[in-house]
Amino acid sequence: MIAALGAAVLELTRQVGGIVVLGGKVLRALIPPRIDGRELVKNLHKMGNRSVPIVVLTAFFAGGLMMLQSGPFVKKFGATALAGWGAGYAVLREIGPILIALMFSGRVGANNTAELSTMTVTEQLDGLRALAIDPIRFLVVPRVLAMIVMLVALTVIGDAVALLGATIVAHFMLDIEWATMFHSFADNLQPYDFLHGVAKSFAFGGAIAMTSCYFGVTVKGGAVGVGRAVNAAVVAAAVSIMLLDFLLTYLTG
Amino acid sequence: MTFITDIGTSVVGAYRAAIELWLVFIGTLAGLIRGRKTRPKGEILRQMFYIGNRSLAFIVVTLGFIGMVITYQACLQLARITGDFSQVGSQYMRLVVSDFGPTLAGMMLATRVGAGIAAEIGSMKVTEQIDALRMSGVAPIDYLIVPRFVAALVMGLFLTIVGSAVMFGLGGLTARYSFGVNLHAFFDPSFVRPRHLAIFLVKALSYGGTIPIVAGFCGLRARGSSEGVGWATTAAVIGGSFAVIVLDFIISASALFLTGGDL
Amino acid sequence: MALIEMKGLEKSFGGKPVLRGLDLSVDKGEVMYIIGTSGVGKSVTIKHLVGLLRIDAGEIWFDGKRVDQLGERDLAPLRKRIGMVFQSSTLFDSMTLAENVALPLRKHARMHHKAAHDEAVRRLARVYMQDYADRYPAELSDGMRKRAAIARTLALDPEVVLFDEPTTGLDPVSARRVDRLIRELADTTGLTAIVVSHDPPSIFGVADRVAFMYQGVIRVVATPAALRTSDDPIVRQFITGQSTGPMETPGF
Repeated sequence: MIAALGAAVLELTRQVGGIVVLGGKVLRALIPPRIDGRELVKNLHKMGNRSVPIVVLTAFFAGGLMMLQSGPFVKKFGATALAGWGAGYAVLREIGPILIALMFSGRVGANNTAELSTMTVTEQLDGLRALAIDPIRFLVVPRVLAMIVMLVALTVIGDAVALLGATIVAHFMLDIEWATMFHSFADNLQPYDFLHGVAKSFAFGGAIAMTSCYFGVTVKGGAVGVGRAVNAAVVAAAVSIMLLDFLLTYLTG
Repeated sequence: MTFITDIGTSVVGAYRAAIELWLVFIGTLAGLIRGRKTRPKGEILRQMFYIGNRSLAFIVVTLGFIGMVITYQACLQLARITGDFSQVGSQYMRLVVSDFGPTLAGMMLATRVGAGIAAEIGSMKVTEQIDALRMSGVAPIDYLIVPRFVAALVMGLFLTIVGSAVMFGLGGLTARYSFGVNLHAFFDPSFVRPRHLAIFLVKALSYGGTIPIVAGFCGLRARGSSEGVGWATTAAVIGGSFAVIVLDFIISASALFLTGGDL
Repeated sequence: MALIEMKGLEKSFGGKPVLRGLDLSVDKGEVMYIIGTSGVGKSVTIKHLVGLLRIDAGEIWFDGKRVDQLGERDLAPLRKRIGMVFQSSTLFDSMTLAENVALPLRKHARMHHKAAHDEAVRRLARVYMQDYADRYPAELSDGMRKRAAIARTLALDPEVVLFDEPTTGLDPVSARRVDRLIRELADTTGLTAIVVSHDPPSIFGVADRVAFMYQGVIRVVATPAALRTSDDPIVRQFITGQSTGPMETPGF
């Protein structure tokens, strides 16, 4: 039992170490920034396209949910002026960035790991090396950049949709006026709340990108290995998101 | 014009997939009722152990962290607006029980357990082991999905309870150490009604049941080789997470409706 | 001195020795076949030549310079002179054939998109694949993919090309087409080729010399004709394709 725990800890440190090393390679490839433009554009397109529908839907429901939880409470105390406060604050700072990041991790992160691990298993990465093309510079860096950019953009869009969802739920299920909601948003939510969430999504994007690419390129064993790599990637991304959220919340208040 | 056909095709595709998913669900329930004929002995227990073992640390860590963050943010905002912390604990407990606990646990389980099940079953599909099962007269749903369904229901509930407790507990510690909130005042269950516990149960069981069905369904649909397994795992995570959110919304809205707008 | 010299190569995987002091020389302009049973380490041997694997002991010399200790960055010039065609063709699924072949041209010859594309089509024509330039690898047969992969490897005009089982898994007609292509390239461009194979028509139809690998070393190097009349019992068993004999086949 102790041996198993020890082995698990060693495995974890090895993985974390590997991700950090990969991160270092990615950063080094960015200075000077010689990135394959076509790969970058292709990935931006692919990742954005794939995730907009699911993120929008999730954000809508999440905003509505927040409203369902906080709205009745606010109504009971007659403080409808604060109606948007609870939902809006939670959405911008926490629920929005986290849920969108988790969905992004599942949709884009997992897909990316699947693609990269398939390429590794079919020797396409070795093929690149044999052509004297660095797979990190060519494949990984554009994907990391695309994922971070996309997640930040999606969080911004998602925040807006979530607030909309909250407003719609407030109107149709809690009989709170559109204007009341709008005013409560405007009066109680500060730009810093929004930026706080966006800064988090930047960090989340980095975490999702690095875990996704790491497990993609270190895969071993055919079809079974690919499944395991995707599994490991989404789990690692989820833990990183929670951990980073914790750290960032405490650091930036 | 092709745009319309594209939408049409995806709607038809989604409709077909939904029907198949429903059939898998019915098949699972039927297999459950029919009893153990082709299932290996002790498979359910094995699956329960497997799920519990792999996910406990994950659930505790993720829910713990987010519990601390939520409490911190809430206290921060209260300090900004009212400065009154007397209700923080009781309201937080209500939220954890009726929403955050089960839903966040559900999403984490969709990731951990859903991906695991889809990866396993998906690998079996592309290496033709599923076909081999069928040839031996064994229904894959009965053999593979039913045990995981039961295991996920039971372990899901257990993990949700543990995770929610950790979430609440660590939240309390955060309130105490960052904002000086009295722990005794925090651990105040006065706002938690029986209906909240009922909601907790309904949500936890719904998620626990839906995740393995969605994941098994995605796994059985895997095609090709390694890419197929990758897509199946991805679909399971997304499908499971999204199902959790939608179910959460439906159950919360229904509860609100049934109690006449009272929380 | 020969173009490529391998001296005393040793390599183990997880404690299991695969190469046990392998020696081999390949002359410029020749087509050298490395043959042997499955799993004896033929692919492992050639992967060392482009630094995809590192030897545990021994020396590898290319064009008078030692190359086995080079770092990843220093391997780049070597990889432009020695190309490799993998067993699983390794074309990039997300690119058309033309884009695949154009990739090294864009990256190393610094060609612009249009010029690279045109040059890529010209290269594909040399392997008789120009009509499929805008198709994706998934749409084509194995034989066609293999030929396209060869075109991509030749894009930077390497002096040496390593072929890892080029005809394995192909139907007989496609296999002979690939054979003819290798022979044609060697005859018309002076290309040096090292081919890993266990396909007899290929071995006896194309090779200038054959190196027979057994138990981690090269046991015999001879012309195909000399090999056929060899006295060595192990060689005889392989050539005549007997399932029983003095050969040690682990796992059976």
